[in-house]
Amino acid sequence: MTQIAESTRADIPPQAPTRGGIGDLLRQTEINFRLFGMLVALGVILVTFHVWSGGTFLRPENMMSLAVQASGIAVISTGMVLVIVSRNIDLSVGSIVGIVAMTYAVLMTDILPHVVGLGVDFPFRWLIALVLGVGLGVGIGALQGFIIAYIGVPSFIVTLGGLLSIRGVVWYFSRGAAVTGLDTDFRLIGGGAEGSIGGPTTWLVAAAASLAIIGLLYYNRRRRRRYGFPLRPMWAEVLLACLGVLFVLGLAWVANNNFWPRGAAEQYARANNIEIPAGGLFIPSGFPYPVVIVIAVTLIMTWVATRRRFGRYVYAYGGNPDAAELAGINTRWTIMKTFMLIGGLCAIAGAIAAARLNGATLDIGLSYELYVIAAAVIGGTSFAGGIGTIPGAVLGAFVMQAIAYGLSYVGVNSPGQNVVAGLVLILAVGFDTWNRRRGS
Amino acid sequence: MKTSRLAIAAAMLIVAASCSTAAPATQPPVTDAPTGAPTSVPATATAEADCTVAVSWNNFQQPRWAAHDQPGIKETVEAAGGTYIDQDANLSNEQQITDVDTLISRGADVLIILAQDTEAILPAVERASQEDIPVIAYDRLIEDPDALYITFNNVGVGRAQAEAILAAVPEGNYVLIKGDPGDPNASTFLPQGWDEAGLKDKVDAGDITILNMSGDSWPDEAGTYTIAWSTETAQDNMEAIIDAANAEDQTIDAILAENDSTALGVVAALEAKSYAFPPLSGQDGDTANLNNVALGKQYVDVWKNARELGKAAGAAALALCEGQDMAGLTMDEGLVDPSVAPDSLTAQDFETPGGNTVKSFILKPTPITKENLNLVLEGGWVTKDQLCQGVDAASADAPEACK
Repeated sequence: MTQIAESTRADIPPQAPTRGGIGDLLRQTEINFRLFGMLVALGVILVTFHVWSGGTFLRPENMMSLAVQASGIAVISTGMVLVIVSRNIDLSVGSIVGIVAMTYAVLMTDILPHVVGLGVDFPFRWLIALVLGVGLGVGIGALQGFIIAYIGVPSFIVTLGGLLSIRGVVWYFSRGAAVTGLDTDFRLIGGGAEGSIGGPTTWLVAAAASLAIIGLLYYNRRRRRRYGFPLRPMWAEVLLACLGVLFVLGLAWVANNNFWPRGAAEQYARANNIEIPAGGLFIPSGFPYPVVIVIAVTLIMTWVATRRRFGRYVYAYGGNPDAAELAGINTRWTIMKTFMLIGGLCAIAGAIAAARLNGATLDIGLSYELYVIAAAVIGGTSFAGGIGTIPGAVLGAFVMQAIAYGLSYVGVNSPGQNVVAGLVLILAVGFDTWNRRRGS
Repeated sequence: MKTSRLAIAAAMLIVAASCSTAAPATQPPVTDAPTGAPTSVPATATAEADCTVAVSWNNFQQPRWAAHDQPGIKETVEAAGGTYIDQDANLSNEQQITDVDTLISRGADVLIILAQDTEAILPAVERASQEDIPVIAYDRLIEDPDALYITFNNVGVGRAQAEAILAAVPEGNYVLIKGDPGDPNASTFLPQGWDEAGLKDKVDAGDITILNMSGDSWPDEAGTYTIAWSTETAQDNMEAIIDAANAEDQTIDAILAENDSTALGVVAALEAKSYAFPPLSGQDGDTANLNNVALGKQYVDVWKNARELGKAAGAAALALCEGQDMAGLTMDEGLVDPSVAPDSLTAQDFETPGGNTVKSFILKPTPITKENLNLVLEGGWVTKDQLCQGVDAASADAPEACK
């Protein structure tokens, strides 16, 4: 026992011999180049639109609009990664968003007040609707997952059927009419001036995140040392810590430089007896709730995918289904869980969409599946199975939305946006496939 | 053994496929009225008991058709002893051609067609004319000289929208939100109405600036199209437009949205940006939008009392069934509300963009603003609860109809 302890402390294996050069230095930082490449691509896209728009694109308000618009797709794409990694597909995500959003609307405007008797003033009525909606999403996912995993029908077929039939069911909720007028607290989920966490909280979140990054790097280094893995050079650790903290603080700065619109600020000032200074009252909005939801979901999903058995089972099955089965993994239950998980995520995305719209329409969530799959794939998830990262998918969602929003902003019409989105998808995945082939 | 199994499987597939194309199982109910079971036959009714009126919908899922058009047609037909049958094409051109075939096989005497595409429907119309079945083009134009065109004046809808908004905001910055680029209403008729109300003149004179031009060509590149008239797409597009306007320090003074589903997205975008509500137009009289008019979030909603349109089509169908000539077709006085009825009760000539001349009944739309919301209540279009949801009846801003 002590022998091992001594050896791990004394004989830290030497790091790979360095030959100098930038390539080597970069390799020592162990940055995931694919992810980094996508960040760079996102930056290039944003700068391109900034130049195209004559220098007005990169403003905090616009970046927040973009982030809120991307949030629904980003949330679902985290679940889609696990589904695609395990060699399945879910085409019904858009329809699940549609039916759950309509459920929220019908619950809050009709069933809860008129049938159950919970008036507008009932505390947390919106939360009841939210829980029921998430339950519905998970339930639909469970049903589809059961048919796929236990009965063995291919996921393409089952979810294609789901796509059609679920969208059809939505019609019966309101005979096709839009249902509007949701609870004010629920609407905060959709972002906007009041749907944001505010300046001080944003700095708190940023501080906590920075500490977490530093803590993680430190903890990681300690574990490596303990188990005898090669360590990153100290300068690399410091560099990563600095980059991470700067990034997080930068995001918080952008969020806090997005101020309440003047009308809303003045209304708030009057309501709270605050004097309006000469230049106007600037209330920082901070992170909108949808963005907070995306961050939270990304962190939880990444943790599930990398640190929980369930996540490892999913990757194991995706990499080699037979080996996973033989190793004793309950593969069917694992697969069913991936569909339940994505169903729940669709319900959350549906909440964001319904809150943004203050209601639900027949076509809410239409075509989401295309963008979600595109986001996951751009983020590095392979249809062959076994490969894919959650942060990559979220980044992919933001890349796609940056293009859509940017084109809208500079005035390119909707059909043009679709043309570009399709081309970007082919380019991104093509480049990645070519890169992988080159590397192997 | 293997080949015979394959043969059986193939045979089953073929049978299944032909079954599914013969009876498209789409969502809305396909109803059949019992033949010869009139609910109330007016004393002057002619023997129309064996007239089967067949309707080919293109998108039954949109709320208006089930709620207003279908009852209008169905009740008129059945009250005179006719039979009503229908099919829905669910936005597919191919499906609609199949639907028309199916309706003809089911014994249609007259066809009422809501064409998904004005030219793609022509093979179906040709088949109908070969069978001597008269065709009514309902709400959407069919480029065929023998089809009777019954619609609301879509150009008139655009004109009513723009007249109301231009009266409220004669000068300033406008945002144009258009519908699906493939729909001639969105690309041609409504913008034509806007221009008839004076939009282009004002833009040329410099009084009005369009903030969201995607080029210089008028009207094609004026404004932003919204694929599938989708509310979410309209919302995202509008948020980007608001951001761009804020960045350039321009205020949005008025918004011309072509219909209610896009207008709903526009309102959501305005709320997300806490923008206040510049005058906004719409079309169709959807419940949520009429509620927005009551709340002051939408300025005008051009309402087409689709039930009246249905009645007109139903009555025309019955007349054609009897063998009346399309040229001399006359609407009964009092069949439809006088404010909605066309200027002349006899079928008029209409010049189509494709160069055909068709017989037509063009009904008039009704612009609804806060002041005349009572019309939609009186017409039974919405209930007071639906109309006034969230309205503070005691406040000075509240519309008369909600007090």
